[in-house]
Amino acid sequence: MAVDVPYAADAEVSLSFDELQVLRTQYEREVAQSHVTTQTKFNFAWGLVKSPVREHQVEGVRILQDIYRSEPARRRECLYYIALGYYKMGNYEDAKNFNGLLLDKEPANLQAQSLGTLIEQGVSREGYIGMALAGGAAAIGTLLVATLVRRAARK
Amino acid sequence: MPPAPDPPINVKLLLIGNSSVGKSSLLLRFSDEQWLPEDEASATIGVDFRVHKMDVKGKKVKLSIWDTAGQERFRTITSSYYRGAQGIILVYDVSSRETFDALPRWFSELETYVSESVVKIIVGNKVDKEYSRQVPTAEAEKFAERMGSLFVEASAKTAVGVRETFRNVVEHIIDTPELWGTASPAEGKRGAKTKTATPASGRGSGGTMPGNIDLGAQEQAADGGCSC
Repeated sequence: MAVDVPYAADAEVSLSFDELQVLRTQYEREVAQSHVTTQTKFNFAWGLVKSPVREHQVEGVRILQDIYRSEPARRRECLYYIALGYYKMGNYEDAKNFNGLLLDKEPANLQAQSLGTLIEQGVSREGYIGMALAGGAAAIGTLLVATLVRRAARK
Repeated sequence: MPPAPDPPINVKLLLIGNSSVGKSSLLLRFSDEQWLPEDEASATIGVDFRVHKMDVKGKKVKLSIWDTAGQERFRTITSSYYRGAQGIILVYDVSSRETFDALPRWFSELETYVSESVVKIIVGNKVDKEYSRQVPTAEAEKFAERMGSLFVEASAKTAVGVRETFRNVVEHIIDTPELWGTASPAEGKRGAKTKTATPASGRGSGGTMPGNIDLGAQEQAADGGCSC
């Protein structure tokens, strides 16, 4: 029994152009009618965050933050997809902040836990690249300390 | 090339059913041999999946199990995950009549998204709560038969029936070659465009990756509505 993919499936799978277009059309139609439902906004933002295109991810996160502010009932969903969006953009710091907020509220949330793992992997990947550039044992030490502090801070 | 091992058969399973019937718990029990107490378990956000390898009938099978949110407000986005599924696990809670009564709605939804040959299994979860059972086994059995579905009772908490559920579905999928001949789901990242014999009832123009949102889903959005 091997589990080789963590949770957070939404990090990997994106929509086709046409499908995202359906969500966009609905969103824009409601914008034109000057009444956008939260569901429409959320669906569109979800599609955008899943997209591999950076501008889409940015726009998706922007809309989700908007929902976060205006719809307290949707906050946990927003936190997750905002964190996912930042993760996909490579902004691991913000990804961790938002995912951390979700984990604070729901420490046992498996999706947030696995997204957290993905973020950590991203951070250390980035760390290794930085290390290769800087070189030297000092860099390794710093990274280790940073990781430990980060781990500690997460708890 | 030396006798290369057969590539594993990719099987895509989907867990559906009302909110808090224990879809994620069944998956957690099956893949990790774990169980979270109710106060620690959290409602699934959107969609999740896990990959699990198993041997069935001497064949290597790579299962990708998609776990969808049962909450109404995710309906429009989770319905997009049906495509390419070869097996559907419909879950209800034996201690909640309401979740059993919702099954016909789940069936009608999946009829619009997957082919008839897709293997379906109804799982009556939480049999550990025998004392507060609201759905008799015989009744559920009869319903499953009428719907052309397999049936099992299980408990993610005590692990009863969990492995059987998944094994049963996979065995039936393997016995239905039209389901797995060309299937390679859950390889979305690598862009595997291979598609199962999904009929997709006339809306095949979209992409074929799992996780596609269904273009027809928007009509649902209208009546599914937003409760906010």
